[in-house]
Amino acid sequence: MNARILGIGHHTPERVVTNHDLAAVMETSDEWIQQRTGIRERRFVAGDVGPADLALPAARDALAAAGVRAGDLDLVLLATLSPDYDCPASAAVLQRHLGIAGMPAMDVRNQCSGFVYALAVGDAFIRSGRARHVLVCGAETHSTGLDQTTAGREVAVIFGDGAGAVVLGPEPDPHKGILSTHLHSEGRYAEKLMVEAPTSRHWPRLTEEMLDEPGSRLWPRMEGRYVFKHAVTRFPEVVREALAANGYTPADLDVFIPHQANLRISEFVAGILELPPEKVFNNIQRYGNTTAASIPIALHEACEAGLVKPGALVCLGAFGAGFTWAAALLRW
Amino acid sequence: MTGVVALGWGSELPATTITNEDLAPSLGGDAAEIEAATGIRVRRRAAPGAGSSDLAVAAAGRALAAAAMTPEDVDLIIFATMTPDIAFPGSGCFLQDKLACRTVGALDIRAQCSGFLAALATADAFVRADRTSRVLVCCGEVHSSALDYTPRAATVTPRFGDGAGAVVLGPGEPSALRSCVLHNDPDGFERFWCECPASRHFPARMDRALFDAGRHYYVYDAAGLAEQAREALASVTGEALAAAGVRVDAIALFLLHYVDPRVAREAGLRAGLPAERTLATAERAGHMSAAGLPIAIADALREGRLRRGDLVCCAAFGAGIAWGGAVVRV
Repeated sequence: MNARILGIGHHTPERVVTNHDLAAVMETSDEWIQQRTGIRERRFVAGDVGPADLALPAARDALAAAGVRAGDLDLVLLATLSPDYDCPASAAVLQRHLGIAGMPAMDVRNQCSGFVYALAVGDAFIRSGRARHVLVCGAETHSTGLDQTTAGREVAVIFGDGAGAVVLGPEPDPHKGILSTHLHSEGRYAEKLMVEAPTSRHWPRLTEEMLDEPGSRLWPRMEGRYVFKHAVTRFPEVVREALAANGYTPADLDVFIPHQANLRISEFVAGILELPPEKVFNNIQRYGNTTAASIPIALHEACEAGLVKPGALVCLGAFGAGFTWAAALLRW
Repeated sequence: MTGVVALGWGSELPATTITNEDLAPSLGGDAAEIEAATGIRVRRRAAPGAGSSDLAVAAAGRALAAAAMTPEDVDLIIFATMTPDIAFPGSGCFLQDKLACRTVGALDIRAQCSGFLAALATADAFVRADRTSRVLVCCGEVHSSALDYTPRAATVTPRFGDGAGAVVLGPGEPSALRSCVLHNDPDGFERFWCECPASRHFPARMDRALFDAGRHYYVYDAAGLAEQAREALASVTGEALAAAGVRVDAIALFLLHYVDPRVAREAGLRAGLPAERTLATAERAGHMSAAGLPIAIADALREGRLRRGDLVCCAAFGAGIAWGGAVVRV
């Protein structure tokens, strides 16, 4: 029994933050940001709004599109690196927002690859018969964890807030739905893109100094050149792996939805795979990098734009902090 | 579709023992009062600088050795914790590097005290779904660096300990996971939680006001949770046994996993479990959240209290509010 995406939805906060808005609070420019990332604007929350709050409308839309009642879900999965609370999992917070209880709820914490990892978990639960209907969300509120001053500009200009959700259900046709999933990690580069604190390996894990220090360990740190170099290698590698596992080559692909890390990475990867631009969907220009949320947001917009037709061969691919990278191949 | 067998178990408790006498000067009161309030006598503390993945490396090494496998043989890592090495990336990535595994997937999950059962169900699903073969499930917690060592936390801090447990799973029969039932009910999860850093706090998920108010420390409402815990642990034990189609007599050991071992024992009595074949996981070295159950199984195997092939019935209840039960062939 395969798993298939029965319904999909996304939601982003209303507040649009342009590059010009950022240039007003830190030393940066629209030209600098666009040249390096392709980003023109992103959405930021304007109040106490966490990833579970953003995931709620996305999940409701996905459930409605799937024709599945929230109470009939067998598992709630939420991928995030910016959870509502330290504990419990944001999946439990989302469960509360949906007004449901009883089924398990857990978070997947695999950063930019989080959605594909969570999709792989949902796929495994359905294929193994452990679940029939699984809600898989990717949701992030980055803006409350960014240093929005000149000191933090390298990272702050990249990220945005948002959420996407899919409902997975059983698909009897073995040639349809999620054909395979491919997960990878290489922890030797874990500290090339990270938020260090709170850190259980430091006593205590959160200190006054961490709050006050310049370049606080509470803010994300990134060595962009490392990330770029590895992304443009691992991304095509895992896409080829997913295609080859099913007897396909890049030429067979109808739609490629790359994690929206950076438009330059997406373009570079598409070039390596020799994919024409019309087969690759990007929307980072409008949302920035929403890490675990970017793929379901992009997939939903690609569906709404009519790019994902029944029978299409679709590849979802991701690379990011960990380093982790992952791909899923789907027959729509 | 093949079943999944447990190939090897391992645990790691740090060498440093912290007694109630050690805690009393900072928490106030005396050792007897701490034990009366929490039911815990001792717990272990990770060495300075050691994160959850450092404890997990040792546990995973023992599990792999018991399975006669090397890190190269692992096809997927699943890491469950609520106290990761750093905020992100996940501890599974650090473990992948420290063990020198291939560049396999390193899935990090958060399901609090049910983390081990959720990880076990996930591993079982991946193997049965034919998505992977040999899975290393690791659970590690370093609570000690997260706790409040002042009198206001005198009835919370002594309950928690540091440690890690691991199991290697692979395809085979008869299946290790005879049953696994998982639940979550978010109603009142603030009775057992850690609020901050909280991304939903605008404009900053952590700041001085939150810090000064101690909102980055664990909250645990012992009285408010005890009865719900007893009821859930007792009922989910019955659910797990029924789903596995086995009777109490067939179970070599019942493991009841809750932050208060006395409440866990009371749940066992309520469920009619034989006391001599029941362990409350927090009794020996405090509550270790995701890690408590695999540590208890690995230790029981090492000490001869369990033999390979025995059936164990696990029940867990904790933050989320998540609870679950499983019958496992160890």
